[in-house]
Amino acid sequence: MKLISLSALLFVIFLGALFIYIADDIPDFGDPNSPPNRYVNLSISMDAAEAATNLNKGVVPEELVSKLEARGFREDELPAKVEMVKEGEWDAFIIPEEKHYYPKEQKYYFIKKEGDKLWVYRYAPIIRYIEEGHEETEVPNMVTYILADYRGYDTLGEVTVIFTAGVGVILLLRRRAKRPEAR
Amino acid sequence: MNTEKSEAGEGKKRGGDVIVETVSRLMVPFIQLFALYVIIHGAGGPGGGFQGGVIFGASFVLLVIAFGIVKAGDRFPEGINTALTSLGVYIYAGVGLLCIILSLGVAQYLNYGFLSLPVHFEERRALGMDLVEIGIGITVMAVITSIFFNLVWKREPEGGGGEEE
Repeated sequence: MKLISLSALLFVIFLGALFIYIADDIPDFGDPNSPPNRYVNLSISMDAAEAATNLNKGVVPEELVSKLEARGFREDELPAKVEMVKEGEWDAFIIPEEKHYYPKEQKYYFIKKEGDKLWVYRYAPIIRYIEEGHEETEVPNMVTYILADYRGYDTLGEVTVIFTAGVGVILLLRRRAKRPEAR
Repeated sequence: MNTEKSEAGEGKKRGGDVIVETVSRLMVPFIQLFALYVIIHGAGGPGGGFQGGVIFGASFVLLVIAFGIVKAGDRFPEGINTALTSLGVYIYAGVGLLCIILSLGVAQYLNYGFLSLPVHFEERRALGMDLVEIGIGITVMAVITSIFFNLVWKREPEGGGGEEE
């Protein structure tokens, strides 16, 4: 009995230490520029020498397209335009086939030079909400346009949950007959 | 017997405190106005349907605390409350469905840009969001109120009517 509780204590301490060790690596909470909030590494790499000159001229390298196709990206998710952000970093744009919305260029891939390789990242969806939400919805409040527009389906579910709670209370607690008729 | 007793003493026991009654009578309209402001203001600043709905519900809770459940219940009948509970969800889901119907099936569900309002695409999305927030506000208000009213009503006959104040 005592042995078990002692080992449990040690295990908890070990887990705590492990968590602190790992948490050292976690980027600051809510930092919009931290890599996990900004882009996902697709672990596609290209040789820098040839591709970089193409990218600087604004031409989409063949290698990039074929590698993305091999990864299973749809036709309208392949880059159509490249723009340089700064030295060694590029944005790639796609023109999605949005039938419900006018087709609009969208920032989708991010290419970064590290050493003699180019690594390809994909922008997180939140980047579009942050950078283009005001323009797309004409609502200045970021919380509202994400809650009610981009995540409208989710909010519909939340309202339904509240509605269900209300119906549950009505069914369980309502006692019409016992209501005092005093006035 | 018990009910008769409480019937007789209801009016005096409940509406005893003049200060509480007067202050809450003055406060309630302003609380409700503020709630409507928070709901409508949701697009431009802090606020939204959930927050505004809770404030609106709080105004009815204040009514119950000040005037007792019977008087407050007469002001906001149960039947209407139950109807409002579902009306909000209907408004929300209906706006979503209207987008599909008005665009003849082109738009997605809840794509407010296709509501036929006399403004441009982006502005329509903003107005659609306002409509949806109103729906959320109605549901939250009605649910908060009905939860509170039902909790109070159940205890009333057994306890002989001696609660708050």
